[in-house]
Amino acid sequence: MTHPFNRRDFLTGVAGTALAYAIDAPAQSASGPRTNITVRIDRDLAVLDPAARTGPWDGNVIRCVQQRLMKQKPNSSELELDAAAEVKQVSPTVIEFRLKPNQMFTDGFGEMTAEDVKFSFERIGLPAKDAVATYKNDWLYLTGVEVKSKYEGRIVLSQPRANLFDVVIGDVSGCIVCKKAVEQRAADIATKPVGSGPYQVVSLERQKGATLKRNPAYTGRKPYYEEIAIRFISDARTTDLALRSGELDFAVLSPSAAEPLRSVSGLMLNEQPSIAYVWLGMNVEKAPFNDIRVRQAIRLALDVDQMLTAGYNGKAPRLNTLLPPQILGHWREAPVYKRNVAEAKSLLAAAGVSNAKVKLLILNQAAYQNMALVARALLQEVGITVEVDSQEGGTYWNSGKGDVGKNVDMFIVRFNGKHDPNFIMQWFVSKQIGEWNWQRWNSPEFDALFAQSAGELDQAKRRQEVIDAQKLMDKSAAFVWLTNETNTLVHRNWIKPAGVPGWIDWQYDDWTAA
Amino acid sequence: MVAGRSARADETLRYLSSRLVTTVLIVIGAMLLLFTLSSIVPGDPATTLFGPQATPELSRRFITEMGLDQPVLVRLWRFFSNVAVGNLGVDVISGRPVTSLIREVIPYTLILTFTALGFAALVGIPLGIYAATHRGSALDNGLAFVSVAFIAVPSFVVAILLLLVFSIWLDWLPVLGASRTGALGDEIKRMILPTLALALGWIGFIARLIRTSMLEVMNEPYIRTSRAYGLSRCLVTYKYALKNACIPTITLLGLGIGRLLGNAVLVEIVFARPGLGRLIYNAISERNYPIVQGAALVVVVLFVVVNLIVDMSYSAIDPRIRHGAARAGARA
Repeated sequence: MTHPFNRRDFLTGVAGTALAYAIDAPAQSASGPRTNITVRIDRDLAVLDPAARTGPWDGNVIRCVQQRLMKQKPNSSELELDAAAEVKQVSPTVIEFRLKPNQMFTDGFGEMTAEDVKFSFERIGLPAKDAVATYKNDWLYLTGVEVKSKYEGRIVLSQPRANLFDVVIGDVSGCIVCKKAVEQRAADIATKPVGSGPYQVVSLERQKGATLKRNPAYTGRKPYYEEIAIRFISDARTTDLALRSGELDFAVLSPSAAEPLRSVSGLMLNEQPSIAYVWLGMNVEKAPFNDIRVRQAIRLALDVDQMLTAGYNGKAPRLNTLLPPQILGHWREAPVYKRNVAEAKSLLAAAGVSNAKVKLLILNQAAYQNMALVARALLQEVGITVEVDSQEGGTYWNSGKGDVGKNVDMFIVRFNGKHDPNFIMQWFVSKQIGEWNWQRWNSPEFDALFAQSAGELDQAKRRQEVIDAQKLMDKSAAFVWLTNETNTLVHRNWIKPAGVPGWIDWQYDDWTAA
Repeated sequence: MVAGRSARADETLRYLSSRLVTTVLIVIGAMLLLFTLSSIVPGDPATTLFGPQATPELSRRFITEMGLDQPVLVRLWRFFSNVAVGNLGVDVISGRPVTSLIREVIPYTLILTFTALGFAALVGIPLGIYAATHRGSALDNGLAFVSVAFIAVPSFVVAILLLLVFSIWLDWLPVLGASRTGALGDEIKRMILPTLALALGWIGFIARLIRTSMLEVMNEPYIRTSRAYGLSRCLVTYKYALKNACIPTITLLGLGIGRLLGNAVLVEIVFARPGLGRLIYNAISERNYPIVQGAALVVVVLFVVVNLIVDMSYSAIDPRIRHGAARAGARA
């Protein structure tokens, strides 16, 4: 007996297949290893143009779409040649380069030449008069790029720059864009980048993220993953669930958000010390903090370890000086202040301060709120009443600027770092008062050491200058260093991610299978 | 007859004109409030986004580009002058037109909101009818409890619970609410949980409202008369009673659009789904006012237009309103 295939059979079949697919899909995505992966970013991609990028999340994509003369080796801050066959520092202010031939830009924009290098660097460092370049300071002291031949050129500076290679040539501001493409696409270049790097952007959608595909024309080391989907997920809880369900393969989370994922089969937690730095600062211009004894008393009244336990579940390393251990010039012998209530009280008495009421400004995030609450309790014991002023990002980041900044008492703040001491130190010079030097700390000696170390090409001398600068910061007692944080990388156990130590700069093109 | 129809048309036209004026006033009022707030709230996109990298020149440039250095009324005038030619401004960060950003995300929000509302009506109305026609039954009491529970629980809590059950424990549906590939089947699958999260509270609302309205209508003399004439219970309930009981629900659905758009922000964040709400939320965090203004205008217009449609639909559903309007027109 035969059974004719009717409409009902067809619908049942379709429904069954759809259901089977629906049930099976997440499981499929969780199985590996694969050649396509999905990673999470917590800020939306906005501008994929090196000259107008909005932050490291844009930079991480730009660095694998565009080549640099030199780039960091996988999982290292050390540089190796990328688009250049040779880079030579011929004098403290002149760097010569020679490009590798046949490095082709995507979308048929032709071969990379020294003209493109000149255009790329000068549009950031020497913008047109009416233009405001966000990253102009990256190319500080650039007087121009001279083109010698199709592949050769010279970068000429007005003054030596110690960090030119680490934070400029090897970073996003050193990315080589296609002159013709930028001129042709104008504003669209921000969302339709043209590059010669290991990946190309095949889709970019607001609030969703981007999809990167291996660039077949790339002449360098072939990336392992054929496709990388970068998903913008702002919520840590959603990230947790997407990692569990197998829809996401990689995310960087705070230690407390990552901890519950430790027991999930197939996932790995990899804790990496960060180069972001967090501290409690005091406005030295405002009473009672204008008296150094009050600042010293506060430093002694606080217990940094207790604050870190509250803020980071004890998973963040303590920082005792400005520069984290990974950075050149880290002051290893910096004093580790222990809580001493008696001494704090006597310093306050000597300063004639009793029952002081102060405000502690923080960003409205759990880690800072928890640390602020501990600080409040600890300072209460020495007779200082703290009101915690928790602000959302937009308001918070403007609190220390201009005349408004004069009213700030104390604050907890976090800055992102780079693998360069001067990049980290730059926010504490007197010129930054009213901008990012919220302590309003004015030290001509610090300024001088900063300027000296910025141009010092001798590493040993530079290290010493940077340490001396940190000693001045310690002497001011305007800073209570808290932590350089820990980033927890959560990923499938078959992925081996790569990033410049500190994990602000990821190296998608060097990710491989474990 | 012809005179009556013409009077009705005049009345409708007058009504539409007055609503249009109200709509314009609402939009101007809402934008005035928004512009005033943006002048008071501290912060600029450069500082918020770039942090220490933001130079004073860059902050100033953003402030100038957004017109924040101008008086509120000047900004408002410029904004509406641009809107009149279809220009909602430019995103100061990416340099892209705000209209194109809105165009990219608005389908997500509209599909989510209207699917959720449709789903809520589809489930809520039969539940409400059942509860009304089986008053005092175990199911009626159970539905009352469930409805209140659905109303009381915020949609983002429902969203997380749904994710835990359907994505993690049962592994049936994806966590992320938007497809990477854009394939229709995948998009539909990824919409199920966000829709449910948004709709559940409304199912409760609609069910309670329909139940109450139905009970009220069922006691009306015309229902008794219809039954006395021998019309079937089913016909009376579903054709005559339900039609009238639906009117308050339609009002609720109109007003609900605003609330749903608000709740959609949280659902969009939890499911990492693009949408108008998330666009506004992120833009506020970044102090990217051109996006906030453009997107807020779209939301206000959307809300007002939906409510206008709802108002207009009354007369189509309820002949008493239609005839009342005609009589008023004839008297005039």
